[in-house]
Amino acid sequence: MSAGLQLNNLTVHYGHKRVVDDVTLAVAPGQTLGLAGESGSGKSTVAMSVLRLLPGTARVDGEVLLDGEDVRTMSWGRLRAVRWASASIVFQGAMHSLNPVRRVGEQIAEPMRLHGTEGSVAALLEQVELPRDKARAYPHELSGGQKQRVMIAMALACRPRLVIADEPTTALDVIVQAQVLAVLTRLVAEQDLGLLMISHDLSVLAATCDELAVMHQGRLVERGRARQVVADPRHPHTAALTAAFPVIGDPAHRWAEPAVPAEPLLRVRDLTVDYGRTRAVDGVDLEVGRGEIVALVGQSGSGKTTLARAIMGLRRPSSGRVIFDGAEVPRSGRALKAFRRQVQLVLQDPASALNPRHTVFDAVAEGLRVHGLRGDEEALVTAAVERAELRPANLYLEALPHELSGGQQQRVVIAGALVLGPRLLVADEPVASLDASVRGEVVALLLRLRRELGLASLLITHDLGLAWQIADRVAVMHQGKIVEQGSVEQVLLTPSHDYTRALVRAVPALGPGV
Amino acid sequence: MRRFLAHRTGTAGAVVLAVAALVALVAPLLIPAEALDVTRVTAPAWQPPGARQWLGTDHTGRSVALLMAQGAGTSLFVGLTAAVLAVGIGTLVGIVSGHFGGLLSGALLRVTDFFLVLPALVLAIALSTVLPRGLGTIVLAIGLTSWPSTARVVRAQTLTIEARPFVERARALGGGHGHVIGRHVLPSVVPLVLVNATLAVASAIVAESTLAFLGLGDPTRISWGAMLHQAQLHGAVPRAAWWFLLPPGLAIVVVVLAFTLVGRALEAVVTPKR
Repeated sequence: MSAGLQLNNLTVHYGHKRVVDDVTLAVAPGQTLGLAGESGSGKSTVAMSVLRLLPGTARVDGEVLLDGEDVRTMSWGRLRAVRWASASIVFQGAMHSLNPVRRVGEQIAEPMRLHGTEGSVAALLEQVELPRDKARAYPHELSGGQKQRVMIAMALACRPRLVIADEPTTALDVIVQAQVLAVLTRLVAEQDLGLLMISHDLSVLAATCDELAVMHQGRLVERGRARQVVADPRHPHTAALTAAFPVIGDPAHRWAEPAVPAEPLLRVRDLTVDYGRTRAVDGVDLEVGRGEIVALVGQSGSGKTTLARAIMGLRRPSSGRVIFDGAEVPRSGRALKAFRRQVQLVLQDPASALNPRHTVFDAVAEGLRVHGLRGDEEALVTAAVERAELRPANLYLEALPHELSGGQQQRVVIAGALVLGPRLLVADEPVASLDASVRGEVVALLLRLRRELGLASLLITHDLGLAWQIADRVAVMHQGKIVEQGSVEQVLLTPSHDYTRALVRAVPALGPGV
Repeated sequence: MRRFLAHRTGTAGAVVLAVAALVALVAPLLIPAEALDVTRVTAPAWQPPGARQWLGTDHTGRSVALLMAQGAGTSLFVGLTAAVLAVGIGTLVGIVSGHFGGLLSGALLRVTDFFLVLPALVLAIALSTVLPRGLGTIVLAIGLTSWPSTARVVRAQTLTIEARPFVERARALGGGHGHVIGRHVLPSVVPLVLVNATLAVASAIVAESTLAFLGLGDPTRISWGAMLHQAQLHGAVPRAAWWFLLPPGLAIVVVVLAFTLVGRALEAVVTPKR
């Protein structure tokens, strides 16, 4: 039997639930295979089954051949020898997979010590393009990208033939993501490794892998050369996944109708916010017109979320003014409360933005109750919920958040904002935590609300594709300052600032001709 | 409710508590006053258990069984009220210091720390010697010394809830302090407080018994701790009068254990599984 990984008819059950259904895959050394799918599609279960890391309640059928040997029937001792030495995993979320109280050098050395492998931590760090002295650093002293590289160094420590990378770049922003992917691609080519990369993001997979397999509800629905699968998807699910990653510059992916320049609704003048001695927002000027969608893009840590908080009056600015509808936004008391009726917040993770003990009805009615709008509560709530496209509303009103899907939860959050009849929506990464197929629907909902209600939005995102899809104007934020702003076409297609150029270049390309 | 019944130990504890509560409520109505009046009892003193006196008699000839029944009420009453007082103060301090932060929180926390490092029993003894003797004093002494741990736990829970995005969403909707505390913090803290309360009752009963045993209780009332005090004072040990010592001691152990079991079971039931 050949080297590398060979999965034959892999099927995994949890109780009666079939999570992975008859999956057959092969990864030879030097080959790169991308495994795409939404959350719950079973892609991580496939990864864990390779090193038999699934919990004892899982029933695994089929064959998992690693270098010709079936992992399912290995003895415990043999399995321990094979883990990390034959195949290793770059786990999802480097920040949680590293021990915070040990130096990263010790953690990289740990598998080498356990397996008695020769090698030096310094050499491994060099391979992933980190300075040698970082071995003495603790995880919190490293940035997200550096931590992810430490994870890669750790995976390479015992010179495995196969590396499984489970969402290796999900929590990173575009520029860092591009760097980490470059390191990974180079190492695979240099050391003739097999790479099984798992992600929900087709563009990341298309940029790094030769071959692509798409999973849906536990089954492999499509498989082929990466470029070809992306350019010409055969299965409808693959098509839905590709559609969720808009190509910047492609008019077909631009959903926003051209907007007439409108008079400003929100004006931010020379706003500065400090956290202790750090200046998070540094003299920002920004305008949002009536019914206009403005995207505020930037890397994490660029101060865009702080700016949003300051606009909402949730964070006191050090200096500068926020003018809404011609009047300065009050900083406290009754007037601030009245302002908050006009401006509503939609948060990134809908699961945590809803109190798990409140029903949908309570969550949506919360705003009405806060503002003492008794009126016909039920009618107002029903109208808002239907407006957010949860129809018919009475199916959802009594549900608790955990009974809903991510997309439905986000609609509840949006309904909770709509019920107060706001004029501006501040949305902080509104689709970042949603699955690809749901993402498009929520994006379309935001556009429809603009069209029907004249609702303006300030969209905070690191996702340039989203900005291309629905925004009228884009403002690019870097280290607390707005470095460039203008119409979407102008900023994203002909960027004038160096930082914007770097940002646009780092977006993984997807589609034909790239 | 059904999930609580699935916990066998918790159900057993609840049954024990129900019996104890029933005895405490019914006993004062059924027991004639002269049976517990030292000047009017007819039975001889220090009589071992027998057919007439199930648990024997004490140093004055009163029936130990009747004393036990009569004492249950005092022990449970002091335990419950002191626990409610302690948990009430603790919850208030915990939520206020967790929610508002800043100077107020710092001040409240230092007060909490002060009460936390003082030996509770010594403080309770000091309080009950200074204040006039009576049931209220005991409740106050126990309540004032056992709230800090609740305050700490509630504060920690408040802080974790306040960090959740749904609280930020409530603020953005325009909700003030009252709204955030009433609609989000309090409902999340209540289960924790309930569990804490059952455990606090258990320790309050022990504290009451300790104070009474040391002779600092209300001399006009019978409680299990006071019975132990009498037994020790009048020489039950040299007389080998085990029937006067064991029943109140065991009763305290059983009731405290029952409260702890119920508390554990409640904790398992109310903690939301996510």
